[in-house]
Amino acid sequence: MESLSYLAPLFQLDVIWTIALGTLGGLIIGALPGLTATMGVALLIPLTFGMPPVMGLNMLIGIYIGGIYGGCVSSILLRTPGTPASAATVLDGYPMAQRGEAGKALGMATIASTIGGLFAAVILASLAPQLAGIALEFGAPEYFALALFGLTIIASLSGDVLKGAISGALGILIACVGADPISGITRYTFGISGFASGFAFTPALIGLFALSEVFTQIERLASNDPPISLVKNPWPSRSDMKESTNALVRGSIIGTIIGVIPGTGSGTASWISYNEARRTSKTPEKFGTGYMPGIAATESANNAVCAAALIPLLALGIPGDVVTAVLMGGLMIQGLAPGPMLFQTNPDVVVGIFGGTFMATIFMFIFGMALIPVFSKILMIPRRLLAMSIVIFCFIGSFSINLNPVDLYTMVGFGVLGWGMHKFGFSQAALCIALILGPMLESNLRRGLLQSGDNVVEFLSGPITLLFLALTVLSLGWPMIARLLARKGGVHSNIVE
Amino acid sequence: MASVGRSKSDMWIGAGLLAFCAFAAWRTLEIRQVVSTTVAGPSFVPWLMIGGTALLSCALILRSLKNLHANGEVAEVSLPDKATFKKIAAFVALLIAYAAAYFPIGYIPATLVAFIAGLWLVGERNIWVLIGFPVAMTLVVYFAFTELLSVWLP
Repeated sequence: MESLSYLAPLFQLDVIWTIALGTLGGLIIGALPGLTATMGVALLIPLTFGMPPVMGLNMLIGIYIGGIYGGCVSSILLRTPGTPASAATVLDGYPMAQRGEAGKALGMATIASTIGGLFAAVILASLAPQLAGIALEFGAPEYFALALFGLTIIASLSGDVLKGAISGALGILIACVGADPISGITRYTFGISGFASGFAFTPALIGLFALSEVFTQIERLASNDPPISLVKNPWPSRSDMKESTNALVRGSIIGTIIGVIPGTGSGTASWISYNEARRTSKTPEKFGTGYMPGIAATESANNAVCAAALIPLLALGIPGDVVTAVLMGGLMIQGLAPGPMLFQTNPDVVVGIFGGTFMATIFMFIFGMALIPVFSKILMIPRRLLAMSIVIFCFIGSFSINLNPVDLYTMVGFGVLGWGMHKFGFSQAALCIALILGPMLESNLRRGLLQSGDNVVEFLSGPITLLFLALTVLSLGWPMIARLLARKGGVHSNIVE
Repeated sequence: MASVGRSKSDMWIGAGLLAFCAFAAWRTLEIRQVVSTTVAGPSFVPWLMIGGTALLSCALILRSLKNLHANGEVAEVSLPDKATFKKIAAFVALLIAYAAAYFPIGYIPATLVAFIAGLWLVGERNIWVLIGFPVAMTLVVYFAFTELLSVWLP
């Protein structure tokens, strides 16, 4: 009963409006090619600064859920995935649009995303508290092993593991700037007082994910956009739904399982789900020709990841994917530390997030179905106006958190760094994860070594520590497993650049 | 669009990272040490990361050399052409100037000038869009943040 009382703030009108606006904003951001859910969340984190935690965090979750869903719009209408998560949707979505069935394709994508999202939200609400209960027993060695496990996300986030590892090591080194967490001695500040507490996290994220994208947009300004298909009736027929039921259920389960595994993300889930739907279909030859179950499989899986990726974030304090890594920034500026203690100290926030996830998914369905006829107009917003508007938000966002002008230079610096990294195949996400987990890794490693008198064997001998170390090894092998699974279905994920 | 070979660019990046490691190592030597019962002092993790980055950079260089010798240059990295590169460099300079002006001059004048200059830089020549959009956007954003969201702007 107590848990239910925590849901009450969620039903205040201003909270409902904020979640609705967040979801709508995410949908628009996701629909625009090149603008990702990660960027949307990073850019709008500062908006949540003055909001109560439940309101602010659920707005960000709305942006996340809406953003992942919104990616299907340009996949279907332009053959250009709005987000990497919807790359697989192109395979069947665009051929349907070419046949004049763009509305139906978008309708199926909306329904599938809703079913996947709601399924994963139920699992989030049931699994996260159990996992947090276990994590309450953790000490320095367990947290060190957990941070190490979280860092292996880098392997699966990076197409090139070597470059991902370099980005990760650099990220941890950058996270060392400022006061040492144990002794308080300053490191690498070059006498600049603004860096005494290290690089501010949110401006760094905004630079890495939002400003760097502006530079990419400026480069692409010269290119021509492909023609956009007309959008009509969005409702799939009963036979379409019947035909897609298996793909919907399987996609929701696959997306949820993959979302819980740190580092896999929506992109991986949608490809695996698509391959599974094709492999188990009686008519596999129809996949890739504009077939409803293809869209159902990918969209149910990628939206199921959203809620499922919140499980490791809330229960263990490690992000499930790159967007939840950025979401951590949102929790941090509210003064909340994600992890098992959150369930003890702020149960109202945790329950509010569970409820907000459901609410955002329902808003996504409503806006998705209602706005299908105007989606093609969203895609016509001129890129140069968009690019400059993003710059303004980047500046406001970076400044308003600490009111520190140094943060603006940090943001610009990380923006240039992010653009260069993207250009030369270094993962920005790996750097971001390392910035988050670096301090956790360092403080627990040093605390653990201090407690064990530098005895590494004693430090790492606990059963939970060993379990996480084993998972770390398994996680490092994940890219290989994912590649094998993708090949099994004979679909090449690189068809959409 | 200009381009450069992937292996060649990786080699240069690897060399750049090694130089960065040398610089970081020099700065790490400057970190004050404290008397402690553990080897894990304030410079412990930085040294681990510098060593790791140096090793990985060497691996990157070796991999590039191996690829170059085995297959020649296969993949290419697309780079902006000279004009686009100049445009992006000017844009970065504009952002630095905007950052410098943001607090002392204030949000509205600094944003208006940066917005118009930025739009002009990215090729907008329609005078109504060039002036009208920045004015409207700057004021709407100012009102939304300061009045609706209670976020202070200079």
